[in-house]
Amino acid sequence: MMEFLEMMLQPLQEVFAKFNAFLPNLLAMLVILAVGILLARVLRTLLLKFLATVGFDSWSDRMGFTTLLRKGDLWMKPAAVLASLVFWLLIIVTLMVGLGALNVATIDNMVAQFFSYLPRMFSAAVILVLGYVVASFISRAVLITAVNGGHHYAKLFAEAVRALLMLMILAMVMEQLQIATNIVLAAFSILFGGIVIALAIAFGVGGIGAARRIIEKEFVDDGTDKTPDDIEHL
Amino acid sequence: MSDFYQTGIITTLHQLGQPSLERLESELLGFSKMRPIALVLPALYSEFEGPAMPGIVQELAKVKYLNEVVLVLDQASEDDFRRVREFMAPIQAPVRIIHNKGKRISEVYETLKRNGLDAGPQGKGRSAWLAYGYVLARGQSDVIALHDCDIVTYSRELLARLCYPIANPNLNYVFCKGYYSRVTNKMNGRVTRLLITPLVRSLQQLVGQHGFLDFIDSFRYTLAGEFSMSTDLARINRIPSDWGLEVGSLAEVYRNYSPRRVCQVDIATTYEHKHQQLSAEDAEKGLMKMSVDICKSIFRTLASDGAVFSEGLFRSLSVTYLRQAEDTLMKYEADAMINGLTFDRHEEAKAVEAFTRAIAVAAQMFVENPMGNPLIPNWNRVSAAIPDIFEMLRLAVDADNK
Repeated sequence: MMEFLEMMLQPLQEVFAKFNAFLPNLLAMLVILAVGILLARVLRTLLLKFLATVGFDSWSDRMGFTTLLRKGDLWMKPAAVLASLVFWLLIIVTLMVGLGALNVATIDNMVAQFFSYLPRMFSAAVILVLGYVVASFISRAVLITAVNGGHHYAKLFAEAVRALLMLMILAMVMEQLQIATNIVLAAFSILFGGIVIALAIAFGVGGIGAARRIIEKEFVDDGTDKTPDDIEHL
Repeated sequence: MSDFYQTGIITTLHQLGQPSLERLESELLGFSKMRPIALVLPALYSEFEGPAMPGIVQELAKVKYLNEVVLVLDQASEDDFRRVREFMAPIQAPVRIIHNKGKRISEVYETLKRNGLDAGPQGKGRSAWLAYGYVLARGQSDVIALHDCDIVTYSRELLARLCYPIANPNLNYVFCKGYYSRVTNKMNGRVTRLLITPLVRSLQQLVGQHGFLDFIDSFRYTLAGEFSMSTDLARINRIPSDWGLEVGSLAEVYRNYSPRRVCQVDIATTYEHKHQQLSAEDAEKGLMKMSVDICKSIFRTLASDGAVFSEGLFRSLSVTYLRQAEDTLMKYEADAMINGLTFDRHEEAKAVEAFTRAIAVAAQMFVENPMGNPLIPNWNRVSAAIPDIFEMLRLAVDADNK
């Protein structure tokens, strides 16, 4: 009878022993989560105050980031969006660190992968932001030049330049994030190459006459003697 | 039928004979292909519960030449906004409703504010200004017409006559103000009759001949809320956010364009809308508030054009105005008598007294702060500060109307 009871209790004792060993890790995780959430909240508040002081919202309005948010139907202040992003990033990091404290091999693996991916996410965000600024700047420069040049399709032209640049930047971002790298690269090459070839054919075919006139004017000697003009200004 | 006398320095387009509405509308349909027309309607939700708005929508449903209708809805909840969308459904032209209290439009106002571009407090001025911005953002109309939403006697002839001078490419007008007689069984329009005209003529006596005073005096009904204009003008005109809206807008038109490009048109034989209380004892309410804001706007415009206002001039103005107003009152009494209209001389005299006080209050406010409330910046200025503002506004309104 005693043996039977021992047999029954042994697994329970083992579970209890494992739980005892696991309990400090669990507590560590809960403490890390609590501190992390608190820290994230404090950082969000501080960041909001800092962004308000440096006039981030106005800068964002002028640079076009606010419009970018509105296009995504986000109608919060840009500073609030950035602060929320930082907050949730910190929460995710906290969660990962907390899960790491559990000392479970599978989770440890996942956490390691996450932290090795983090720099890529950061560089992708930087590429996206800088790329958007540069694309907007170039697009506006093209618009101004085309308008001053008296082109009828100035706005369309500027928008096309912006769209092409954004396409290139998105491809770079996807490549950085290592999301379907081969497919993105192939799709981008086909699309971008296709557009360039289409433009080359369009301008090439459409501009045959103009090109011929320029070449004839520049390089072909028409054989006529150009007698110097007798009339002088002075 | 009115006479054909041309008043002042702007063109007056009378209603002579019985012009055919069908001809007007068919011509407008043709013009609208070259100069698409947007109708702007600043409205409060309460106006949809009143007697005027059903009639206006019923009439607008028959109009074919409008390119778009932009209704700026104020003091409305999300449910009210939905009800208004259904209410406006019979209108043939695409209708966009700007929900002034919605979260997206509130955020647009917030964006303007943090960039130092205050659109002012809630009111018709701010609503009209925002609607112009949206029309400019869409870039699909060349003419903007605006009328109030409390016109009980509305007919689509009013709109056709209002749009015609600007929509017709053979006429070179950029701004057209509507006029009409405010007569029922008595004469209404006290502020125009007993304040603006006598005040402007008193100022002409004291300041001397002045372009702006001649310009203002040329309008038959300065405070008419109905006008049409080119979108270019909507881009460069600044708008007062207070009750000086009509006079202030005219001052901006005077500043930016030659009077030769401005006209007024007879748009209705009868016109009835909601009336304001005089509130003679309170300069912060009703017609008194309106009168003070109008006087301030006139003083400020003249001062910005080089006129010098001294304490002595203001003292003389009160007396000159009173004399002018009393003379005007007698003229209207005679006019009422011959037409068999009710004329309460005591009430009219009380209004004159109240307006005299309003002039004194406005003069004091002007002396204390000659700059006064800044006008709402024009859209050129706004887009210089926030290059994407038009796109943002378009996104906000389109998302609200999805």
